[in-house]
Amino acid sequence: MGFAVTVGGRRVECAPDQSLLDACLRAGLWMPNSCNQGTCGTCKLQVVGGEVDHRDSPFDTLTTEERAAGMALACQARPVSDVEVGGSGDRTTHPLRDLTATVLEVADIARDTRRVLLGLAEPLAFSAGQYVEFVVPGSGARRQYSLANTADEDKVLELHVRRVPGGVATDGWLFDGLAVGDEVVATGPLGDFHLLPESDDDGGPMVLIGGGTGLAPLVGIARTALARHPAREVLLYHGVRGTADLYDGDRFAELAEEHPNFRFVPVLSDEPAAEHRSGFPTDAFVEDVPSARGWSGWLCGPPAMVEAGVKAFKRRRMAPRHIHREKFTSTARSSRPPTRWADPDL
Amino acid sequence: MTTTEKPDLSWLDDVTMTELERHPYRTYERLRAEAPLAYVPVLGSYVASTAEVCREVATSPDFEGVITPAGGRTFGHPAIIGVNGDVHADLRSMVEPALQPVEVDRWIDDLVRPIARRYLEQFENDGRAELVAQYCEPVSVRSLGDLLGLQSVDSDKLREWFAKLNRSFTNAAMTEDGEFANPEGFREGDEAKAEIRAIVDPLIDKWIEEPDDSAISHWLHDGMPPGQTRDREYIYPTIYVYLLGAMQEPGHGMASTLVGLFSRPEQLEQVVDDPVLIPRAISEGMRWTSPIWSATARISTKDVTIAGVDVPAGTPVMLSYGSANHDTGVYEAPSTYDLHRPPLPHLAFGAGSHACAGIYFANHVMRIAMEELFEAIPNLERDTGEGVEFWGWGFRGPTSLHVTWEV
Ligand SMILES: Cc1cc2nc3c(=O)[nH]c(=O)nc-3n(C[C@H](O)[C@H](O)[C@H](O)COP(=O)(O)OP(=O)(O)OC[C@H]3O[C@@H](n4cnc5c(N)ncnc54)[C@H](O)[C@@H]3O)c2cc1C
Ligand code: HEM
Ligand code: FES
Repeated sequence: MGFAVTVGGRRVECAPDQSLLDACLRAGLWMPNSCNQGTCGTCKLQVVGGEVDHRDSPFDTLTTEERAAGMALACQARPVSDVEVGGSGDRTTHPLRDLTATVLEVADIARDTRRVLLGLAEPLAFSAGQYVEFVVPGSGARRQYSLANTADEDKVLELHVRRVPGGVATDGWLFDGLAVGDEVVATGPLGDFHLLPESDDDGGPMVLIGGGTGLAPLVGIARTALARHPAREVLLYHGVRGTADLYDGDRFAELAEEHPNFRFVPVLSDEPAAEHRSGFPTDAFVEDVPSARGWSGWLCGPPAMVEAGVKAFKRRRMAPRHIHREKFTSTARSSRPPTRWADPDL
Repeated sequence: MTTTEKPDLSWLDDVTMTELERHPYRTYERLRAEAPLAYVPVLGSYVASTAEVCREVATSPDFEGVITPAGGRTFGHPAIIGVNGDVHADLRSMVEPALQPVEVDRWIDDLVRPIARRYLEQFENDGRAELVAQYCEPVSVRSLGDLLGLQSVDSDKLREWFAKLNRSFTNAAMTEDGEFANPEGFREGDEAKAEIRAIVDPLIDKWIEEPDDSAISHWLHDGMPPGQTRDREYIYPTIYVYLLGAMQEPGHGMASTLVGLFSRPEQLEQVVDDPVLIPRAISEGMRWTSPIWSATARISTKDVTIAGVDVPAGTPVMLSYGSANHDTGVYEAPSTYDLHRPPLPHLAFGAGSHACAGIYFANHVMRIAMEELFEAIPNLERDTGEGVEFWGWGFRGPTSLHVTWEV
């Protein structure tokens, strides 16, 4: 038997062992969310009535004090009674659902980097920039991969995956057994990393910075933004170690031909090459853009790069509410309470 | 020889007004530890210094509101903070309608945001500013000034008025005979009031004939029989309450919150990145440096015992909310600004029937001003070449706040 979850007057059913976030998103009821693995804190909400089980909520993300004050991580918490949670309940979203897909293509496109194309049985409604979560066959582990698609490319999903040595999903599956014709199981779409609805998009200038395969969602976002406003200023930085990590150069050259105010800038951090900028992409942005007032900013990739990007954007005076970020955090598991008595000050 | 259980408080004889205005926490920390209700000679009054005793006195049915002597000398009678019963009820019913949350929600954004933008535009491309004088105080006085109907009075004049009324209101030093120790300290307050009358009287003349939607016009007319208005002498003391505290404190509150955040750069960054945290940052700023530090009082209506002290009927007690908010019995490391401390209630807006009437309005003025500041200048840094000094015992906040940013 499940429980009812009420948000601002809307009621959704939550199955046993289903997270609050999963229940709401499946009902098409929007809730803030980003990582879906308890690490980012975006989905933190107030439990107004009823009880939840925090499950694996890491103490780094949801502190003891916050638990005591009735906060919960929607992506982790399971209701243990009917619950009411804070929020207005008046925003809808593309409903989350289970997906089955067939592998159509697996291509090595750069050093330790693969493009995976997946054919869907049913088209998926999503916004460019969102991601899907896969169940790794055999292990049951869940891993998130961003979609490089625009919303109308809804039958074939494009993923960019970077190999992590010893990684369960990458080394153990996507770079190992995965073959054309395989069936994969996933849920999606997830995440808030996407453009405003078209009616609210004024065509303002944008800067996007992707680290490694953090480029994936930016490919979908940049193409969507340019389709809406073909002459808008869009600066896309791709930060990698060396030329061997670069991919899709032709695709961006083509885009730049159609859109005179689009610029693609690869930046190499470790292995400089004469034809490319070197250093960090966030520093390249600071050099190139004297003022980012009125711009929006999009950051995706390793957490440290995303943090550096937030600083760089603010330094150029971009308004923080126009800074969007997607961190490729790896699954953290620190759900044991901190041991207070070990505090050296006490 | 008899021994007495009373603590030896002779050290209080050496406490001066100057010391209280510069470093009130030193004296009050000792008071909280030794005598949470104590007679402080320089103030000629009992003082409540802990959270528990301040709350008890502020909410006790055996106490009622009273204005401090210097406050009464500055504002005159009947000021809302110093009256009780029907007169207090009438004055609250006069000021409250404009400050109700549903009412404030209707116009606060349209009132404050353009004001904040206007002041920001004057310096946002300069790369440096002194935020107290260029932003916190101007946004605070302009927002309330426009609400009251004082559009014709420029912001610098409103700032000058609150500063003069402040120094007069807190000219609290008393002699042993219960006289004002520094009578000439009221002169600048008197000058300010003369100027206020010269400017506001003609506005009142106009509002009597042609009511409009300004707050003071409503004060004159609301709840009165047709054709009658409240007497101006009756509302002036409360106008002065507004022209001092209500004008000054949101500015103090913002500036203190900013200084607190600058002391915790990682917390400043969190707040800049996530404006949803601004109300929490402000609430902690109010606790950390309470703008109305020690300006209001209560008087006992019968013999009572408070914190073990027998207090005869008719004894005034000053409420030191700024001290109560540093009570170690309630807050861990109270002198540290910490956005993430457990959000316990604080006393920065007072308690009981005389609690602040402008909480909702003030909090939103501060919130909107800080939202606009961080939106325009997300890379704000404290100018470490300049110090920050806090001043004030009755009312407290930073006297200046120099900042820089890359443009
Ligand atoms: C919202 C979201 C979207 C994502 N989208 C993409 C995407 O589009 N493309 C993509 O390639 N990845 C993406 N990721 C990361 C992806 O989900 C996996 O975390 C990653 O592929 C590693 O999984 P794994 O099972 O192979 O490694 P794991 O078995 O999880 O990790 C193996 C070991 O490597 C460490 N590790 C994990 N990741 C890294 C890393 N990046 N660098 C160094 N050490 C690491 C782990 O701590 C662990 O010790 C995304 C993550 C999130 C949260
Ligand atoms: C951050 C800003 C402010 C702070 C910290 C503050 C704090 C206080 C405090 C501590 C008191 C005395 C409470 C007591 O004695 O228990 C008070 C009283 C009062 N405040 Fe505020 N205040 C602020 C802003 C305002 C504003 C903007 C207004 C009006 C628009 C306002 C209106 C009043 C009134 C009318 C009283 C007297 C209430 C009474 O005696 O009945 N305040 N305030
Ligand atoms: S912690 Fe729940 S979405 Fe990130």
